[in-house]
Order: sequence, then structure tokens, then C-alpha cells
Amino acid sequence: MTITRVKLENFTVFESLDLEPSPGINVLVGANGTGKTHLMKVCYAACVFYDPGEDAFLRKLVSIFLPSNNHPLGLVKRYLEDKTTNIAVSLGSRMLESHITKNWGDPPTPRMGSSGLNWSATKVDSVYIPPKDMLANAPGFRSLYAAREVHFEETYLDILDRAYLPPLRNPAEFVPAHLQGRLEAELGGKVTIHGEEFFLSGEQGEIEFTLLAEGLRKLGLLWLLIRNGSLRPGAVLFWDEPETNLNPKLYGVVIEVLLELQRLGVQIFLATHDYVILRELDLQAKEDDKVAFHSLFRSEETGEIECHTADKSLDIHPNAIMEAFDSIYDREIKRSLPGLA
Amino acid sequence: MTTVLEERDLQITISHAEAARRFDGPDHGLTHCMNAVDFVVEFSDRLLFIEFKDPQHPDSNLSSDEALSAYYQSERIDQELVYKCRDSFLYEWAAGRTEREVYYLVLIAIDHLTSADLDKKKRDLDRKLPTGIPNKWERPIVTGCGVFNLASWNEQFPNLQVRRLSSQA
Repeated sequence: MTITRVKLENFTVFESLDLEPSPGINVLVGANGTGKTHLMKVCYAACVFYDPGEDAFLRKLVSIFLPSNNHPLGLVKRYLEDKTTNIAVSLGSRMLESHITKNWGDPPTPRMGSSGLNWSATKVDSVYIPPKDMLANAPGFRSLYAAREVHFEETYLDILDRAYLPPLRNPAEFVPAHLQGRLEAELGGKVTIHGEEFFLSGEQGEIEFTLLAEGLRKLGLLWLLIRNGSLRPGAVLFWDEPETNLNPKLYGVVIEVLLELQRLGVQIFLATHDYVILRELDLQAKEDDKVAFHSLFRSEETGEIECHTADKSLDIHPNAIMEAFDSIYDREIKRSLPGLA
Repeated sequence: MTTVLEERDLQITISHAEAARRFDGPDHGLTHCMNAVDFVVEFSDRLLFIEFKDPQHPDSNLSSDEALSAYYQSERIDQELVYKCRDSFLYEWAAGRTEREVYYLVLIAIDHLTSADLDKKKRDLDRKLPTGIPNKWERPIVTGCGVFNLASWNEQFPNLQVRRLSSQA
């Protein structure tokens, strides 16, 4: 099951966005504040909400966006005048539509609802990996979250729920064993869980995740998600800034695994600021691979967020990442060739 | 003074220079034993060594992005660029024309090169030429260098504009 279309109106930073994602890998690039993470979160919320009731989807949105005082009106694009927020997400032939409208009163309250009530009939396996690692801080977090009002986006709870899932009896039934082996070779071992603590078990014995480099924890998380079936064919993976704390030398193996998962039928969304991630995808993707690069940018004419989609990273326009490189090289040339350039 | 020079399919229009000449040509006289950059441009305070590489010229057999990338990344290109520059410096030194600072500008006419690609090649050249003044030297051979594709070259050098002859015929 893949996300086939997302339409947003007056939602957070978006005045109007209509995106048809690739069933394979979708790379979101853009400067800070152009809505990459928001777009992924709204799609993730559509995949994971399961409570009955018209406002269940919106409650999930609130739990992962955390607007002030958990007020859904915080998700409405900030205008001087009040407008209605519309959200439509299509999964295959099914479409979920939601709206939030300000209801004047004192204090103002939202009127909201969703249609597509058979939406949750088929559960979509989905994983949202936030930029900050949670595995090292996992012990006690789920109990704390259940008992107290802690100001953490629910994605941090959700990723721990996925990581703690017991392994499949036969993960190779869904995902080829060599994929886990590829990650194990880079990790130098396998991930084990004792109580609520994660360890890397290898030739050096067991190393606590708190003592492990964060980049390796990310590889460990990917290994767990494959082994426990969270990333099986038909699943949707959202990964916000995979490059955070990951040495660029490890990007190659991460992209190799993601491309392989895509070939198996996992739909993937990546938000990135990293040139090497883009180029690894260009260089490793084969002809039949489905990779789309979506550039989110603020239009100079309207001031609103727009999206341009390309098949290759070099064709992305505008490309905030390359603009940074252009600026660096421009300054390097001016320094090396004073008075010439 | 404006000088127009050509290297196969690329034409450079040089303005505001004291002099500009084709270097790698019949007047060189020693190309049987020395490498040479394509052009030398003289300003009052500096010399420019200019080398064009044009793997995308109309008769090139490098058509795919992959082939062009392999060409760009080959060690052979680096060596060629380094020896052309050093031999040209030696030639000009023996001719008594190296009192001015020498800068080395390389145009590699591959459209898809990004700033990151150009930056890597420039850093390789900086290290291999080498540019600047290494320990134990009192003066540099080459003070600075830069690597460009056609678009970035024309953006950086309004007085050294380059055009492709075949595309504007």
C-alpha cells in the first residue's frame, strides 16, 4: 500500500500543495521552514491513526506536531484572516479527507472532522524515524510517556514501539537475509535488547547503545526494523534527516539498503539537507528503481511554498543544498583568484 | 584590446588584457618535448594560464553522463593538467616572462558538473601543482587555480567569455 497523493490547503506552512509521490523513494529537499518534515508527518499520521471517530486523524496530527496547548488550530496556516485547513491523503484508491475550521467563540474552538471512515480498515505498516536517536534513551521512556504529560512528539514514542517489536520467526520470508548481513558487517555485530536497553553484540562483547556512536545506532535501528518486519513489503518508511550524526562514509550502505527495500515494495520518504545522500541515490539507483526528488521552496512571486519534482538530483530546481555548495565554491574561487573572479 | 582565440569548438573573447596569445600552437616550437596550456593571457600584474578540456565537443565519443564522469574523475586528466601548467611555467620562466604572479584557469566543458565536483578537482590541483608557497620555496610556481564548467566560467569571468561555436552557428 503506497501513498499516491497528498493535498494540503492552509496547513502549517502550506497554502496549497498537491503532490503525487513515487511508489519508491521520495527525497524531500528544501531550505529550513519549507515544510519537508510537516509533509512527512501528515502522511505518517494518515498511515498510523487507527482510533474510531471523526477526529481521530486530527488527534494523531496534534500528538505528533504538538501545537501549543495541543490546540488543533495551531496547525492552521497563520493568516490575518481565518481560513479552513483541508488535508487529503490518498492510499491507493482510498482517500482520507480532513478539515479544521475556526469556530468563533471565546475562546475560539476548532470545528473539525474527517471522511473516509473505512480508512483504517486496512492497517498500513509505517515507520517514522525522527532526526534524534531515541534508542539510547529508551529505558523508562514509554512508561514515562504513558504516565506523564511530557512534551515529546509522539513519533519518538512510536519509533520505540517499532524497535521493541519481537523479531519475526523468519525475517528472510519478507526481506532477503543479505540485507541484514550488509548492515551487520558495518555495525560489527547484531542488536540485542535486555529489558528496555539496547546493545550491540559483536566480537567486543555487548556494548550499550549509550556508549555507541549515534550513527551506528541509526544503522542498528534499521537492522531492527528489518528483522522485526516493520519494514516489510507494503510498508511506508519516513526518515527525517538520515544524515544526522551519520558519517558520510556510511551513507553508501544506508542508500544501498533503502534502494533494496524500495525494490521489495517499501515506499520511502527521506527529508535531507545532504549532498552526498542525493549523489549516492543518483549513483546507486538502477534504471528500474523509482526515485523522485521533490524540491520544496518559497516562491519569489507569491511567497508561498511550492514543489518541483525531478528524477535526478542534478535536475532539482531550486536546490538549496547545491546553492550552498555553489556559494562555498564561489567564495573559494574568489579567495584563490583575487581580483580575477 | 579584444582578442578572440579558439580551441576546437570553444571560442574565448578576451578583453581588458595587455596581451593574449595561443600558447599550444606552432609558435611554441617545443611541443615535441614540453606540454603546453592552450592560452596565455597577460595583465600588468599577473599571467593567466588557460587550459580548455572539451569532452562534450560535437565529435566526442563520450556521450553518456557516466562516460563523462569517468573522464572527469580519471587520474590521467589531473596529470595532464599538472604537467601542462608546470611545463608552461618553465617555458615562460626561460623566456624571462614569469616576474608576474601566475594563475591557472581550467575549463572542463561538461555541463552536469556541480560546484562540489569542481571544488574537488580544484582541491586536487591545488595539492598536485602545487599552488601557493610550500616550505623551502621562496616563491610560488602558480599562485592560485580554479576549475570551471562553461556556465560557471562565464559567470565568473565577464572579460573572458567563452562560447561553443557549434551551438551558435
